[in-house]
Amino acid sequence: MITLLKNAKVYDPAHQKNGVKEDIYIRNGYIVAKPSDTEKINETIDLKGKVVMAGAIDMHSHIGGGKVNIARMMLPEYQETLKYSEPEAHICGPHCTHHATPSTTNTGMRYIEMGYTAAFEPAILAINARQAHLEMGDTPMIDKGGYVMLGNDDYFLRLLSQKADQKTINDYVAWTMHATQTIGIKVVNPGGISAFKFNQRRLNLDENNAHYQVSPRQILQSLSRAVHDIGIAKPLHVHCNNLGAAGNFQTTLDTMGASDGIPMHLTHIQFHSYGAEGDKQFSSAAAQIAEAINNNPHITADVGQILFGQTVTASGDNMMQHLNSKLANPKKSVIMDIECDAGCGVVPFKYRDENYVNALQWAIGLEIFLSVEDPWRVFLTTDHPNGAPFTCYPHLIRLLMDKPFRDEAFAKLNLDAQAMSNLTSIEREYTLYEIATMTRAGAAKLIGLGDRGHLGIGAAADITVYTEQDDKEAMFSKPSYVFKDGELVVKDGEIIKVVWGKTHTAKPTYDKGVEKGLKEYFDQYHTIQLDNFKIDNDEIAEDGRNQVINHTK
Amino acid sequence: MQTLTDHHLTAVTCPACGLLCDDILINNQLQNACAKSVTFFTQPSNIVLPSVTGKPVDLAVAIKKAAAILNTASNPIFTGLSTDLTGFRAVFHTAQKLKAPMMHMNAQSTWRNTKVLQSKGWQTTTLTEVKNRADVIVCIGSDMISHNPRFFERYVWNKHALFTDPQARDVIYLGGEHLNTHPGISPTGKQPTILPCATKSLPEVTAALHALIQHKTLNTTVVAGIAVAELQALAERLRQAKYAVLIWVAKALDYPHAELTIQNIIESVAALNEHSRAMGLALGGSDGDTTVNYAHTWLSALAPAEHDLTQHDAMVWINSFSHEKSLPSTTAPAIVIGNSNLHFATPPAVFIPVATPGLDCSGTLFRVDSSVVLPLKKTRESALPTLADVMTKLDALIT
Repeated sequence: MITLLKNAKVYDPAHQKNGVKEDIYIRNGYIVAKPSDTEKINETIDLKGKVVMAGAIDMHSHIGGGKVNIARMMLPEYQETLKYSEPEAHICGPHCTHHATPSTTNTGMRYIEMGYTAAFEPAILAINARQAHLEMGDTPMIDKGGYVMLGNDDYFLRLLSQKADQKTINDYVAWTMHATQTIGIKVVNPGGISAFKFNQRRLNLDENNAHYQVSPRQILQSLSRAVHDIGIAKPLHVHCNNLGAAGNFQTTLDTMGASDGIPMHLTHIQFHSYGAEGDKQFSSAAAQIAEAINNNPHITADVGQILFGQTVTASGDNMMQHLNSKLANPKKSVIMDIECDAGCGVVPFKYRDENYVNALQWAIGLEIFLSVEDPWRVFLTTDHPNGAPFTCYPHLIRLLMDKPFRDEAFAKLNLDAQAMSNLTSIEREYTLYEIATMTRAGAAKLIGLGDRGHLGIGAAADITVYTEQDDKEAMFSKPSYVFKDGELVVKDGEIIKVVWGKTHTAKPTYDKGVEKGLKEYFDQYHTIQLDNFKIDNDEIAEDGRNQVINHTK
Repeated sequence: MQTLTDHHLTAVTCPACGLLCDDILINNQLQNACAKSVTFFTQPSNIVLPSVTGKPVDLAVAIKKAAAILNTASNPIFTGLSTDLTGFRAVFHTAQKLKAPMMHMNAQSTWRNTKVLQSKGWQTTTLTEVKNRADVIVCIGSDMISHNPRFFERYVWNKHALFTDPQARDVIYLGGEHLNTHPGISPTGKQPTILPCATKSLPEVTAALHALIQHKTLNTTVVAGIAVAELQALAERLRQAKYAVLIWVAKALDYPHAELTIQNIIESVAALNEHSRAMGLALGGSDGDTTVNYAHTWLSALAPAEHDLTQHDAMVWINSFSHEKSLPSTTAPAIVIGNSNLHFATPPAVFIPVATPGLDCSGTLFRVDSSVVLPLKKTRESALPTLADVMTKLDALIT
């Protein structure tokens, strides 16, 4: 079975193709070279006037695991406005009212309708990994994967405080990836979630966790080194200390230097780019942050753009979420300490353009997008659902690609916030090639998905076809065709076939001796058996609708 | 014990209560098992045929009859829901197809907690944190062990803890009736503090404690038989704690508007967390209720709610784990899919015996404190079909 996509206008940054007219051949789920003349082409689709990209990859989206499910449970009122049968509900306006915590089924459906073919859960608690995989297993249409959280777990902090050698740390990190079936390592408020359990309320980069007497900087050094040494593609995924605090940009700048040049990814950096200037002691430090990213080639970042409307923030950072819970809207929140492993904080938020802080947050995110020069090192996220639901991506893409549209939105902001932002002075408009870079090629490269995010020979045939339009929000909201692993699953914005994606993991090698210390620790301090902590491939794939892919070289 | 497998099995998870103890050893006999655990693992392997109004029939005939009832019903309900994740996923699929609501047999008590979550949220911890960190443990309205028999053994009087001396923990019982407080005595003989009051007085007692934690003054010296000075001392002990844990079992708070008591507890925790550290913890749990609560939520984006069973013209009652749970009374035709040892005063319209997860087949369950999800092992040979097998066949006949 060969499918030919004819006359495609291809945007494939992995192969430097910027609007190149090409034919694409699909066979058995993969992109193949032009078949010989004797081979039968079973189906031909003429894509004249269409833009073709690889399926988009959301490299940071809270789609699986305890936090978002708590949000669903806590916020039944969100569901009452759910009317997905209305087609226009798929196109987000500036006051997008999309529901922030869709069911697992709707999560997969809404992603594929926008041409996204993969999403990665960025904050899997190791102890909660089984739940994360169960939820992702119930998410149709897209590929999934996750980054496991370390750096606040007592096992690691004990190793670090006891000055364990780097090899021991590396083995533990690699073992954890196997046990939790993940593809990357995340650290959230390094040391801070643990410190909160000892009643510390803030933790700066060079301040010690009161119990372990280790600093966030030491944690970042140790974990970034481990990730480098075990040889996985995905750099350490860092949620910096001091999330959301005025003046936190200095922590973020200092964090960039904490890994001694080893690659690190700083996530939802918008929430970490705040100055403390002005009457309201809250200002944009986007320029300093963007300049530092431009000058530090070992740093990548995703933005975590906020968009106005009701959403819910769900984070492992219970230290900072406990502070943020004062701002909850509606007034309720969940704060948890979890299993000597981590924690979580779920706080509903309503971002309003007439609010000074919210308006400036919006502007800061866009300033960063537009000031970071290299689209391979900055990624399009709203930190779903924290900044906004992922369904707002088409709207965000238009803000990046359309300066008049952006300026119009800016003019509606709180006036004091307008006075504190240089956004209108930035002329840049993202090109289709740059959008394809940050939502496809760059994301696949960052995570280490060799056969995704591009349209070269041998790539998995995750392909999105858009109809070129001036209104980029309309264009990116409703692709003409989406192929998942070679199967046509979306046509004219409508799902025509339900498929189940794969689970991407990395399984670096480790010394089996690592389990000796872990077994003793589990037997003495944990409340489950070590063997039951580990997740088998079969648990993810047993129902025949999922498959575990190992990307370790 | 002859029903247990002859194989040596380690790290077996027990689904008999919400704690999901997974240190059970099976080697011709059970080790580390509490009384509930023994009852669960030694229940007879009873091979019975499905039945229609009490008459034995083939599985296919029973499924066909069940489908006929459901296809003609205008408003069926799926209840009981005592099963594991795989079973629930299958039930959910068919219930969605029929637009039928789903309600777990423990919905009334679970809903007490959910109401608080949905009005105020909560601040809670989990069992490993209790084991390693808690220096003050307040059991509110329950002795815990009647619901979770190994609570004190595994999480309070443990030998090893990372951040606290387990033997030095302060255990306080606040309210509740017919309590067995003996397990609250430490192995070194340290006695618990007991502040007795009737269960139904807990709303005012917890409200008073909440006020005292916030340094408010009460214009009385006694609340529901407890001296305010004693509640004052408790408030002070909680403020001074390194990590206080306030525990309740929603099922034990069985009186109207018990959610307001739970809200008092949660708000007390929130007040303590302004300056020191404390957390709440809801225990209890059974029959896969936590699993159903969570999976229903991610599959539908809504927590399951309570429903009135009398408003439905057909009832599917699912009860995999325990034959001691009785079929709710109903005038509608009942389709029972469950434990092979179930007995009925009046035979239901259809009875289909199925495998019990953790015994006759493997499975997956959530622990009562959330976050922890554990695999269940198949611990004996069985020819019974799984709930998912039955639901798949039933689903195929739903029109």
